[in-house]
Parts: sequence; C-alpha cells; structure tokens
Amino acid sequence: MTNGATNGIDVERVGDVDVVTLRGEHDLSTADDVSRHIESALGTATGLAIDLSETTFIDSAVLRVLITAQENAAKRGAGFAIAVAETSGHGVHRLLTLTGLDAKLSMRPSREDAIAAASG
Amino acid sequence: MEMVAERVEIEIAAAAPGVPLVRHALRGLLSGLDVDEDVIADIALAVTEACTNAVVHAYAGHDHEGTIHVIATHVDGSLAVTVRDHGNGMSARVDTPGLGVGLPVIAAIAQSIEIGAPDTGDGTEVRMRFALAGGAE
Repeated sequence: MTNGATNGIDVERVGDVDVVTLRGEHDLSTADDVSRHIESALGTATGLAIDLSETTFIDSAVLRVLITAQENAAKRGAGFAIAVAETSGHGVHRLLTLTGLDAKLSMRPSREDAIAAASG
Repeated sequence: MEMVAERVEIEIAAAAPGVPLVRHALRGLLSGLDVDEDVIADIALAVTEACTNAVVHAYAGHDHEGTIHVIATHVDGSLAVTVRDHGNGMSARVDTPGLGVGLPVIAAIAQSIEIGAPDTGDGTEVRMRFALAGGAE
C-alpha cells in the first residue's frame, strides 16, 4: 500500500490515555501538525499512545516528533507507547529499522498493546 | 535503435508542501514499471529525505524562497534521481538542527550516492541510483 489511504490525524481518549492516530502519509509537510496534536494530548492525559497501525509513510521529520514526544512524556511522568503493527507501511518499518530507533522508542505491535502500555 | 528512458522532472518551491509532491511523482513513474511495492517504498523514503534536507537547509538565511529541482530517470533496471538546489551548499549545513539520519537512510537504500555542487552554479546536488529489481540490500 502506498498512497491509497486518506491522510489525517485523529485524537481519541481511551480511559486515561490519549491516542493519537496518524493515518496515511506524514512527512515534513505535516510534522508540525502532528507535533501540535501530540503536545495538546500530553497536556491533558496521563498517558499517550501514538498509533501508526494505519500509517503508510513517515520520514525523519516525523521520527523527530516521535522522539521528542517520548522525551516529553518521560519528563512529565506520563505513560507512552507507539503502536507499529504489521499493517503499518513498509516505509514506517524501514525507517525505524535503518535508524536503529526501533530499539529506543517504546514500541508495541498493536494499538491495544500501546494503549495498555501507555496507561501504565 | 536508441533506448528511450522514462523520465520525470519536477521543480518545487523549497517548502514543506512540495515534499509529498515529489514522492507522488516518483511513485507515478515507478507504478508504470514492474517494480516491487517495497522497492518503491524504499525509493520514496530516500528521495523524501533528500528533498527534506534541501527544504530545511538549502535556503536557510536567504530572504527569498528558492526552488528544488528533481530529475528521475529510469535506465536499464535502475533509477537515477538527482535532487538539486541552488542554496547554501554543503558547508553551511553543519550547524543546522535535525536528527542527522537523512543521509545515512539514503546511503542504506541507494546503490550509490554522490553529493556535490551542481555544474550550473551554487547549491548542492544529491545524485542517487537505485536498483529496481529486488532492492539494494
């Protein structure tokens, strides 16, 4: 799958966790918007899950946002996890593997697992 | 008979909205060829990183918006992609912020990468070549 999905950012509260879902493709052109949604969620929830299971593409600009989100969550004592699933796009897996950040980011294999991890 | 190479050429403003335009144009070219989806995704990632580098760094400090010129040419089972700007050149990039993963990602995906000044003047040109059959691992 490359470009069939509709791009978007959704935020949903599940229990005490805000779930930010990135749909479709995200890169430098949407990184600031992604960052704003994440920061807003971090300001109100006790946990943050970022769902990349419907994400077909991210680049290093978005990766930087994800790293900053994990750092900010840690500073605030909030739970944090990223869902990278089999349904995530090849480019998502590839970027995380090539940069070695798959070992540094708190990643879970599904949206449900990420929510559970973020809720502490 | 001389071989005709499929070619896509696109010029964008050096701003974030142009980055996905280049990616979609490349996919358009590759979708017409017999190329594996994962290989297309890899090339899309590498070229996106090259364009992002140019958007973020090339015209930093300039008082006008520059352009980025991308040429992708399909020849003999490989794709040659050139991303060219007419901005600051390489030396001005060392103190700019970023993850610093763009070039390593490109190097890991591409068969080859060359970085230098364009023949036509100032700026930076990133020349990449990608294998279209079976990836470049």
